[in-house]
Amino acid sequence: MKRTFYKACLCMFLSIFLAGSLYAQQRILKGTVNDETGAPLPGVGVTVKGENTGTSTDPKGTFSIALSAGQKTLVFTFIGMQTKELSISTNQTTIEVTLSDDQQNLDEVLVVGYGTVKKSDLTGAVSTLKGSDLNRTPASSVDQLLQGKLPGVQVINSGGQPGAGATIRIRGASSLNGSKDPLMVVDGFPWGDAGNLKQINPEDIESIEVLKDASSAAIYGSRGANGVIIITTKKGKAGQSRINFSSLNTLSTRANEPDLWRDPVEEAIYANEAAANGGAIATDIPYIGMTRPFGVGDQTIYYPSIAELRGLDPSKGSWQHNTDWVDLVYRNPISQSYTLSADGGTENTKYALSGNYYKEEGIAIKNDYDKYTGRLNIEQNLNKAITAGTNVVLAHTNNTGGGLGVGRSRIFPAYDENGNFFRTSSTDYGNPLAIANRVLNKNKTIDVLGTLFINAKLTDWLQFRTQLSSKYGNSVQDQYDPRDVTFRGFENKGYGSISNSNYTDLLNENYLTANKDFGTAHRLNFVAGYSIQKTVNRYSTLIGREFVNDNLENENLETAVTKSLNNSLSRFDLSSFYGRLNYALMDKYLFTLTARADGSTKFGANNKWAYFPSGGVAWKMNEEQFIKSLNVFSELKLRASYGITGNQGISPYQTMDRFGSYKYFTGAAFQTGFGPGLAGANDEQGRTVVGGLGNNSLKWETTQSLDAGIDFGFMDQRLTINAGVYLKKTNDLLRLKTIAPSAGYDQQWINDGSVNNKGIELGINAIVLDRTQLNWTVGGTFTLNRNEVVSMGESDRVEVGTLYESVRQRISTYTVGMPMFSYYGYKSSGIIQTLEEGIEAGLTGTEALPGEIKYLDISGPDGVPDGIVDANDRTMIGNPNPDFVYSFNTSLKYQRFDLTAQLYGVYGNDVWDFNKITPSRQILRWTPDNPSNEFPRANATRGLKASDFFITDGSFLRIQNVTLGYNLKPNLVKGISNIRVYFSGNNLYTFTKFNPGFDAEVGENGINTGGYPRPRAYTFGLNVGF
Amino acid sequence: MNYKIIIYGLACLMLSVTSCTKMTEEPYGLTNTGSFYKTAADAESAIIYAYSVLPEVGYYSRGYYIITELPTENLTQKGDAGPANFELDENRTTSNNSDLDNIWTYMYRGVARANAVINNVPGISSMPEAARNQVVGEGHFLRALHYFNFVRMFGEVPLRTETIADVSQIPMAKSPLKDIYDLIIADLKKAESMIGTNRISEGRANKVAAQALLAKVYLHMASSKASGSAGYNFVDNADALYAEAKNYATKVTSEQSTYAFSDKLRDIWDIEVYKKAAVSEHIFDAAVDRTGEVEGNFSKLPNMFLPADRPMSIPYDVADPSKGLINIGQGWGHFRTESAVYNNYAANDKRKTELIVSTYTNGATTYTLDINTSSRPFTRKFIDPLRVGDKHSTNSPVIRYSDILLILAEASGPTTEGYAAVNKVRARAGLGNLNPTLSLQAFRDAVVDERALELAFEGDRLFDLRRTNTMEKVLVQKYGKSITSGAYFFPIPQRELDTNPLMKP
Repeated sequence: MKRTFYKACLCMFLSIFLAGSLYAQQRILKGTVNDETGAPLPGVGVTVKGENTGTSTDPKGTFSIALSAGQKTLVFTFIGMQTKELSISTNQTTIEVTLSDDQQNLDEVLVVGYGTVKKSDLTGAVSTLKGSDLNRTPASSVDQLLQGKLPGVQVINSGGQPGAGATIRIRGASSLNGSKDPLMVVDGFPWGDAGNLKQINPEDIESIEVLKDASSAAIYGSRGANGVIIITTKKGKAGQSRINFSSLNTLSTRANEPDLWRDPVEEAIYANEAAANGGAIATDIPYIGMTRPFGVGDQTIYYPSIAELRGLDPSKGSWQHNTDWVDLVYRNPISQSYTLSADGGTENTKYALSGNYYKEEGIAIKNDYDKYTGRLNIEQNLNKAITAGTNVVLAHTNNTGGGLGVGRSRIFPAYDENGNFFRTSSTDYGNPLAIANRVLNKNKTIDVLGTLFINAKLTDWLQFRTQLSSKYGNSVQDQYDPRDVTFRGFENKGYGSISNSNYTDLLNENYLTANKDFGTAHRLNFVAGYSIQKTVNRYSTLIGREFVNDNLENENLETAVTKSLNNSLSRFDLSSFYGRLNYALMDKYLFTLTARADGSTKFGANNKWAYFPSGGVAWKMNEEQFIKSLNVFSELKLRASYGITGNQGISPYQTMDRFGSYKYFTGAAFQTGFGPGLAGANDEQGRTVVGGLGNNSLKWETTQSLDAGIDFGFMDQRLTINAGVYLKKTNDLLRLKTIAPSAGYDQQWINDGSVNNKGIELGINAIVLDRTQLNWTVGGTFTLNRNEVVSMGESDRVEVGTLYESVRQRISTYTVGMPMFSYYGYKSSGIIQTLEEGIEAGLTGTEALPGEIKYLDISGPDGVPDGIVDANDRTMIGNPNPDFVYSFNTSLKYQRFDLTAQLYGVYGNDVWDFNKITPSRQILRWTPDNPSNEFPRANATRGLKASDFFITDGSFLRIQNVTLGYNLKPNLVKGISNIRVYFSGNNLYTFTKFNPGFDAEVGENGINTGGYPRPRAYTFGLNVGF
Repeated sequence: MNYKIIIYGLACLMLSVTSCTKMTEEPYGLTNTGSFYKTAADAESAIIYAYSVLPEVGYYSRGYYIITELPTENLTQKGDAGPANFELDENRTTSNNSDLDNIWTYMYRGVARANAVINNVPGISSMPEAARNQVVGEGHFLRALHYFNFVRMFGEVPLRTETIADVSQIPMAKSPLKDIYDLIIADLKKAESMIGTNRISEGRANKVAAQALLAKVYLHMASSKASGSAGYNFVDNADALYAEAKNYATKVTSEQSTYAFSDKLRDIWDIEVYKKAAVSEHIFDAAVDRTGEVEGNFSKLPNMFLPADRPMSIPYDVADPSKGLINIGQGWGHFRTESAVYNNYAANDKRKTELIVSTYTNGATTYTLDINTSSRPFTRKFIDPLRVGDKHSTNSPVIRYSDILLILAEASGPTTEGYAAVNKVRARAGLGNLNPTLSLQAFRDAVVDERALELAFEGDRLFDLRRTNTMEKVLVQKYGKSITSGAYFFPIPQRELDTNPLMKP
């Protein structure tokens, strides 16, 4: 009733208005259309609403249109952009229009592997991101920039080392020993595990699609179980020719100030107390004003007394040294990235090319990474039916140096009186300046990737595409450790090496695509094909030990006394048949069937071929009349899918019987022996782990996934909500089964055991304001995953990861019934206050003394407390997997300004903080006068136990990125169509209760051993379009 | 035309598909049973591989000493050593002891490698019979050595003589002691008949080594039976085996010239001497060299003994200061000499004054080591003055001449040759002769006591105590140590019990 009234009023108003304007003159309106970065958009359709007139923008993004008199509404349409309607006032003659990327557009086309699908026709769980939505901050690999962008995709950047990649988990980790990384597919070429996509400049990326459920990922069969990330690079478009230059200049600072001793006196007091409490004899207390032997020759080192450090020793002058290692070792690094790109084309030829120079300085001195990448993409129509094209990518990287410690004593100088790097003894290998300046560590890589394809339109509904892709990569690492700088150098009297690795990958894909409608009710899309891929990885290392001097470093390994070399090669072939059928009934009911058969040389003789079927259904409820009549939803879709994907996770040759070799000294020289039992890498105790017993039945891991989702769109997609829920069960886990050591082997690869992941994910986007001058969007993602190890054959618990010497055990485990990486160790309860309390707790010896950590006796050999704290008292004490991961994004555009911000948070995860007792907390240590219940006494010889003392809440919320941009008026400068400048801050602030000396985001296993500091980055960016 | 393309395309596709569907794998850089054991060089390589397990970390370059020395009055360990060390030291081992698991694993790797030689090399027809017998005989020697270690450490164990090619062969029950000893003796007799007398190199066994080990095996069985040590009831007649021990010991002391008694204690333990001399005390060593790449090729055993405080210099020869100082670096102070063994030496016993380091210098300062603190006097049996970093050339002696002399003495009893043998060892240490009127038992006890001093830190003491059934008498009653479990046989590692279904207790 009310609505009718308003409509009536509106009609009346419009009639009067239109009548009044009938007499106005016809006029010409000129304008330009740009995208959000200010770059002109050619080919944008411009139509007058309600009239049959229209035009489109020229290559410079400009248009002119004749308007009849009166107020008009212009409609701007462009594929992949939000359609915009603007009203033109009666006397307006110019207009400037900015079109935004359209994430909500239901007609948007997504790349899903061997084809594309309209977003509205999806039956599976696919997330998508435009390349332009990536944060503008230096990143050597695009993987890092995906953090917080997509629901269901967890990205862990565990440090700030230049050139470092990221860990990506899609819907949880579903393999114990195989790869947990998603498959990365770039322009239809599966490149391998995601995590360090250094070869692609983020600015070249058109879109990123993530295939999360089995229905989507099954087309990649035995490589799809961890999800698939599809990167599509920018292609030229007909009718435009753009040249673009962009640069990023970044200054970084320390985001976390290292927690170190500030005062040499405090440091010395602590060291003395620790030595005394540790049972050192009087002369071995460090700071007592004593001269100590250096170790070789007659050289000595003087250790001042505390009084002397205080300047209170009347017989000595004041102590001259108070070395600020942070100042010497860290810097405010400057990073740069410059990209020059061009794209465009005609109806018959399309091209895109770009080149990038990227240089990233590490926070540690002498640690740099630089990278050169280039890309060329050409597509040519050979005739009306056949198109051929190529895509070539080149990448060079150079990496030098590495992380450096800053925790060295302030009491001693960095350099001795002769200007050499100072050492406290002949076996002191801790001077970071010596390491930075004298240790050689360089890594160079070259990658060349290319694809050639021919696409033939056989009929108007059937196409055939054949593609040949090749990938070649090479890396060379140079290392040299001088004899007086590192232990390895000392142990070997100089250690030099050259490590070479290269890989080649050859892929041939052949597939048919059919698109056919049968009447108006039936739409069919069908893909079927065959591919073969051959991969070869090759390594060799040359090592020289014991050199005359350190001058030549590793440049002449022949002069070493001992030379050794290693080489290996692994190759594997994959043959596959695949097919996908999409069927839409009445544009409401959608069905997808996908299957892939993979045959791999890596699989055992009894299981050479693997089959991965899947199916998905969706119901576009918004197409139903009863939903339409509600007038609430612009989109309402229910999705469900089920399918099977696999994980190859197994290295070549594992199915075969393999001999080991070892050397034995027989008087004059070493001789080499061969025989059964192939020793793998030594574990930390120097014990080898022997495999080599073949298994003809070895195969892939199998993941069954069930996925359901619902997509809501309101108010013409101004508000969209995508919600998903999934259940993944992975069976046949590749596992090293422990076999009876009396067989002469320790383990054998088998398929056994299972892991479950289940979770929910949510993505919300809303356009809060959408005015000509003002646009405000907000969005968020929420990712919740629950992981559980369900079974592992005969073992209930397997300790994994590094064996930490300080606690003499591994702390991460796979434990049945618990999430992966759960911690195993002792429980503790504060600090022991009296000897009686320590003894009563079941502790003995120095462990029972006041000031030590009070470990709890919770069990014994019979499962009940036995009054003794020993290995029986270990239990599950923490879980590094977060309860959930979330992010907020917002973007505000006002006239030519835009402001975007992203927040990223992780909640409810435990971090094992090996750096818990930092100096600021050492000051708070237990002493008889300060009976702390939080931090133990100083004790240099404490044998720490792995306990929940180290476990800290790792939740954090980070202001990941804030960017303020300004687009200059188009065509302001002759020859330059647009200029955009922006200022971006990355890692600006973190809300957390975690140890303030460190970043709370540590690796997937949640162990903080003081990794490479993550910098806070301030970036000035410039885009210029010609 | 378009349809022709499809047809041709599909035809090509089918061709390429059919050629790839087998997906067979061709390994690179890997050897296996199918391609090995074809030539004389393969046979040589196979036996080298079998030997190479000996100096690995878990076996003679560390593990063996941890297992055999910590339970006795010889060595204890530093305070922050792992719990497995403490269990051994305090004789309360459980099946979860990681050190026992370690040595069990390494010894069975040795068995597997020796079996590979014994089962495959006889099939290499292209090599001369003598050379083939040499290799196969050495395989038998090594298998016997491993099983002799097993039977002395763990008692009944699975007796594996086949090469494992499939997991179905893995389940296997324990064999009785008798069967194990039968195999050991048969193996050693085969070794004795197949191996030449010529000593090929350090670290390889010749005929004499097989005879020496046989003497050791017979003595162990004889004395175990005679003393009533657990498990040895199967032995019929101790005296017959004492006679066999004497017989084989005599072959070593009187019928060969490849090894001999060293008159100077220092020379026995001087790497430059025992590795290079044509004839030395070292009948069989696990050989290492500091030019090796990984521990196991070189040894880090000296670091276990040397205190960690500071680099040390000691006189090359305590008796002759003119020979100057040697810089022996510093170690980890992992092993600590127990006061019991230290105080058992007479003050003038050269095995104490020359073979135990009690003082050292660093720069101008002289440091004296105190047997009651953390940095204690330590043996100098394992010292490499030319060490490269942590890499040492110190071989681990498995059988040495003095051991066989003392076996001869013990097997002979208080006879002329028995006294002659033990007194020869005592004389070198600067001690007088044994009381010449000892009873048989007293004489044998005295020889065992002599072994304790002569062979200290060489991994013999535990087995001497076990075979004389005196673990409690000596360790508990005399030295006040405790024994809770594993006195005569260590518990079989849990990993074996869990993974070998026929081993379930």
